[in-house]
Amino acid sequence: MNIRLLKVIRDITSDYAKNLMLVLAIAIGVFGIGSILGAYSVLTREMSSNYLGTNPASATLETESEISRGLLDSVRQFPGIQEAERHATVSARMKVGDKWYPMLLFVIDDFASKKTNQVSHLTGSTTPATGEMLVERTALVVMQANEGDEIGVKTSNGEPAPLKISGTVHDAGLAPAWQEQAGYGYITLSTLHYLGESQGFDQLRIVVSENALSREAITAKAGELSDWLEARGIKVHEIQVPPPGKHPHQSQMRAVLTIFTTFSFLILVLGSILVATSVATLMVKQVRQIGVMKTIGATSLQITMMYVLMIVMICVVALALAIPLSRVAAAAFYQQIAVLLNLELADRSVPLWVPLLQIGSGIVIPLLAAALPVLRGSFISVRSALDNYGVKAAQTRQGALNFISRLSFISESFKLSVRNVFRLHSRLMMTVGLLATGGAMFMTALNVADAWDDNLKRIYQQRLYDLDVKLNERIKPDTILETLRSMPGVTAAEGWDYSATSVVRETSRQVSHTYPDKAHGSFTLLALPPGSKLLDPTLVEGMWLSGKAKNEIVLNQLARSGVKIGDSVKLAVEGKITAWKVTGFCEDVGSGAAAYVSIDDFSRVNHSIGMVKMLRVAYSDRSRDFAYAKNREIEVLLESKKVSVSSSLPVWLLHNAVAAHMKVLVNSLMAMALLMAVVGTLGLTSTMSMSIMERTREIGVMRAIGGTPGKIRSIVVYEGLLIGMISIVIAFILALILSSWMGEFIGNMAFRTPLSLTISVTAFVLWILIILVGSFAAAYFPARRASRLTTREALAYE
Amino acid sequence: MNEHHKILIRLTGVTKSFMVGSGRFSALKNVDLEIRKGQMVSITGKSGSGKSTLLNIITGIDKTTEGSVSVNGVRIDKLSESDLASWRGKNIGVVFQFFQLIPTLTIAENVMLPMDFCNTYPRSDRRKRALSILQSVDIIEQADKFPSSLSGGQQQRAAIARALANDPSIIIADEPTGNLDSNTATSIFELFASLARSGKTVIVVTHEREFSSYFEQCISIADGVIAAGTSVNV
Ligand SMILES: Nc1ncnc2c1ncn2[C@@H]1O[C@H](COP(=O)(O)OP(=O)(O)OP(=O)(O)O)[C@@H](O)[C@H]1O
Ligand SMILES: [Mg+2]
Repeated sequence: MNIRLLKVIRDITSDYAKNLMLVLAIAIGVFGIGSILGAYSVLTREMSSNYLGTNPASATLETESEISRGLLDSVRQFPGIQEAERHATVSARMKVGDKWYPMLLFVIDDFASKKTNQVSHLTGSTTPATGEMLVERTALVVMQANEGDEIGVKTSNGEPAPLKISGTVHDAGLAPAWQEQAGYGYITLSTLHYLGESQGFDQLRIVVSENALSREAITAKAGELSDWLEARGIKVHEIQVPPPGKHPHQSQMRAVLTIFTTFSFLILVLGSILVATSVATLMVKQVRQIGVMKTIGATSLQITMMYVLMIVMICVVALALAIPLSRVAAAAFYQQIAVLLNLELADRSVPLWVPLLQIGSGIVIPLLAAALPVLRGSFISVRSALDNYGVKAAQTRQGALNFISRLSFISESFKLSVRNVFRLHSRLMMTVGLLATGGAMFMTALNVADAWDDNLKRIYQQRLYDLDVKLNERIKPDTILETLRSMPGVTAAEGWDYSATSVVRETSRQVSHTYPDKAHGSFTLLALPPGSKLLDPTLVEGMWLSGKAKNEIVLNQLARSGVKIGDSVKLAVEGKITAWKVTGFCEDVGSGAAAYVSIDDFSRVNHSIGMVKMLRVAYSDRSRDFAYAKNREIEVLLESKKVSVSSSLPVWLLHNAVAAHMKVLVNSLMAMALLMAVVGTLGLTSTMSMSIMERTREIGVMRAIGGTPGKIRSIVVYEGLLIGMISIVIAFILALILSSWMGEFIGNMAFRTPLSLTISVTAFVLWILIILVGSFAAAYFPARRASRLTTREALAYE
Repeated sequence: MNEHHKILIRLTGVTKSFMVGSGRFSALKNVDLEIRKGQMVSITGKSGSGKSTLLNIITGIDKTTEGSVSVNGVRIDKLSESDLASWRGKNIGVVFQFFQLIPTLTIAENVMLPMDFCNTYPRSDRRKRALSILQSVDIIEQADKFPSSLSGGQQQRAAIARALANDPSIIIADEPTGNLDSNTATSIFELFASLARSGKTVIVVTHEREFSSYFEQCISIADGVIAAGTSVNV
């Protein structure tokens, strides 16, 4: 065998404990990269193939009158239209146990040859008979039912009627039903009539044949078609163009995974710095051997190659450990997210570029990090290699240290610790940098998780009501409100109004970005009584509704797009175009795009004075159990008063739905924090033991001049603690910066509003503990070993 | 015999200066020196007189400040660092005072290392060659042990074996017996003498006077200047 290779292998194995640590440090980074990118690649691929596989409609035109089959056939001949289909979406309620849940009914023209927003049939009948429905697979949990069961369904105009679940489908365009706490049913038009509704198909779904991914082109084509329809007496009151080709959650998922990828690369970089410091120490330790090898004929290049080989071998072991493990983690990760996004993973293979990238970065980054010490060590002249005794006096920072010497209240041995810490300033910087970055990431992860929780709590703080009841018909609310207010446990009840709305652009028609589930991308106008006690909005700019001027409006962050205070916005309300003056902007947590107006203005423009379409009720006890019981009482009351309810949404349910949306994110942040803690302590342990190893000879000298083992140990332990303390301070400052950046990023992604900066005291205290215990242990054990060496052994140590 | 008297190493007007805190310090001052092939040469002098510096100049480890060094017809002061390394590996065997064996390689592997660096012998022959050298320095039994389990004298023999690995014409040793007892030292000097007899030029820095009878040429150095160069022809 090649003797050089043999030496490299023996050098690695002779100090396997330390090298194992390096292997671990690199492996953790490579593992992170692999598990995140593995999941990322599978998810993005499957998400778009799932979504595009349904052949999503480019646009949906909502018409005011029924679309006949003859008209549909003409639309199909329209130039630039590839596919056209009639559809209807009806919101209904379903009875689960003794409780009503919101439900969406998708009325399908032709189950057998559905062309747009296709669903994949899973079990049971393919076309439900009258009185039957197919349901989305994720809705079964919400319905607490199985295939074959009957479930009570009530539409706005009909009486409750049982629908039999005759089969299940997977609809990749919908978020899981349990996440929205709603039911999804697919029925025929005759079933809709059976439920008591008289309407026909009032939606036209089209797929354009050209520029299918351009929103402008789609909007233009849909506009053209609307003009054509209106010329034939069919009025189009809304055009929905969801982001073309994009799953409703696509951009969020991309953003989340980008953050995690960045984190993993940072871990790898930290691991590589660890490798670099250890290699630097090794080079110092082996400098004499390098001199000898050069004397007996080794060229600098040969020496360089030996150390490069050594690093590569460590990396290869790390990769061999990390790549298979990261596959397992990636699978766990994408499976979880697939469930959250209602994806069917047809192809679970992680593309080849992921392991290739792991291999590439797992070798290149450590090599780059170690390049400087390796080259410096390898190209050292024989003369200085043979002369070198490690630390040079010139490296000591005299100025700063003289100051310490003058502090008489500090013991001599503590002064020595301080000097040692500053002695090798480049190593010190690396260790402190490593620990600080690790700590910053640890604290950031927990800070952001806390900020996330706080923001979720704001759902309760902004909504001072506990139940939101949407009605099918406007009612005169006075007696109902009286009764509600007199119920024990009810502190307030108000009558509100609402309407789905969209901004009216120059063109006469309104274009919304709503997806077919009517939730993602929708925009709601909320009308509240002046002086409402049930809302505590977070105003970020301008003023809340004063009630003094006419038609004032406050927009939330999702509705804001490019509007300024004082601007006039035109909104379509129940088919009528209305003008409003913007007085302020607010930040809502957990709602879609929304605008607030006074109910007086709303009723006037809507010609519904004295009527409301929404009831909001507050309880004396906000706990989930109390709300649960109270909600039932109210439902019964409304039923007895013959008030037709379209949906009733308790605030705790909203809270849970929002929390469910981002649970993976918070959990992954925690996992990252844990990995950082591991890398951080590894870093500390290895630097401490290296610095002690390097000074074994010096420890011998101290022993020879009378230092007791205990004294020597305490010098080293103080040194470790001091490094730890310095790193904590820097970590804390870094964490503040990182947390506010991450909070802004994640908050904007999830709520369109930055998360407020939250400092997790737990995280801070935990990190201090980790560092203190870690640095104590990291210093104590090697120090004990070194101080136990006999003076002679220590002096002879190389 | 004529071949034996050929001049192998020639230093002309060599000065070696170091930059020190107080200015320039010359460790060697205008040194002229000739060493013939196959001779055993001692370099003596007080501590700090420039002995090690002189050896370093001959091996190319130190570059001259002024003057020229030619070894075996090669102007080594003109070679690049990497050419110098392989030239040294093939032409000069260096023996250190503290043996300096690579601790993670066995004795035989230590001897094979220079062949590996200089790529001198076919890979399959290297071990055989290493063992035969170890045989000649009398420590064949230690071939597969690690340096730490050998006595000082054995380690120095191993180091000499390593110096002989590429069959260099010159052996250079800086206080090779400084760490050995006098019996062991004697046997090391015997070994050097036999190498010189077989045609190698052996240059040894030593403090010990009792071994002066081994040398054909004694170079005495004081304050960087060669005091007397006596050639004793056999
Ligand atoms: N790198 C250097 N920088 C400055 N001065 C040096 C350097 N190397 C050697 N010297 C000086 O040159 C002089 C000669 O050193 P050298 O090592 O050759 O002495 P020596 O004769 O080998 O001594 P010893 O018997 O103690 O080994 C000494 O005064 C030494 O201080
Ligand atoms: Mg010397």
